[in-house]
Amino acid sequence: MATNRLVQQGVKQVKPLLSLDRTEARRRVLNLYKAWYRQIPYTVNAFYIPVTVKQGREKLRELFMKNKHVTDIRAIDMLVIKGQMDLVETANIWKQRNHVMMFFKDTVNPKPTDFLSKFYEGND
Amino acid sequence: MASAMSTKILGPLRLSKQLISASFCRSKSDLTAATGHTFTEYEKQRDKKDVSIIVNEKMDISAISGVPEEHIKTRTVRIFVPARNTMQSGTYNTRRWRMEFDSRERWENPLMGWISTGDPLSNLEVNFNSKEDAISFCEKNGWDWFVEEEKKPKMVKKSYGANFAWNKRTRVSTK
Repeated sequence: MATNRLVQQGVKQVKPLLSLDRTEARRRVLNLYKAWYRQIPYTVNAFYIPVTVKQGREKLRELFMKNKHVTDIRAIDMLVIKGQMDLVETANIWKQRNHVMMFFKDTVNPKPTDFLSKFYEGND
Repeated sequence: MASAMSTKILGPLRLSKQLISASFCRSKSDLTAATGHTFTEYEKQRDKKDVSIIVNEKMDISAISGVPEEHIKTRTVRIFVPARNTMQSGTYNTRRWRMEFDSRERWENPLMGWISTGDPLSNLEVNFNSKEDAISFCEKNGWDWFVEEEKKPKMVKKSYGANFAWNKRTRVSTK
């Protein structure tokens, strides 16, 4: 089964979400990162989660780096908007403990990798 | 009137919240808005000039669509024309293109024998007018895809009279 990739090259004109160029989008991302970075000690304290500030900042970095391949300015803006919404929800304590812990996925079992544990799981 | 009421109600509340949260929570003004400015300000700015930006034609929304990563990177989409309903002669089904994911994780419910699935995309059925639409949708969402080409039935011309054409040797009695 051969899967394909469509070759799409070229550019088009679209309406911007927030930013007009890459520098502006980058500035927004950095602003959001800084805001989150500074909020983490308060979050760890307020939610009383079993996470240190350092771990929280590592997770923050990981979540930001997960989207580093995104190049579309509109997509970056949308990610920033979502991140900002998350930040406000966390800072205002509209979230609850488990919502914050969901960033860490501590209840998700890792997928089995070796043959026998896959067999025990029932899917191979 | 209503606003006065709400400030009355909200006033002491806000105060008490500040008092409570002062020790471990920053006030809202400390939160830098990453978006830069407030929405109304942005609206004003956008109204002022009708701006547009240039982006790549290839769009990728997989980072913002909210679909889990494992269901973007490991799934394959089959793009095909659905079969005609065999019980009826209508061909409306075959006028569209449909996408379907590879099936996975199905099991029989031990109590009732129903089929269960842990696959959130198993019942997703999206129809398109053309193959190209389906392909671009898959590309946009970051899924691998392959196309099953449409099989057009060959129309066979049938007529009773053709049996008695001059070159058919069926008119034996009248020569």
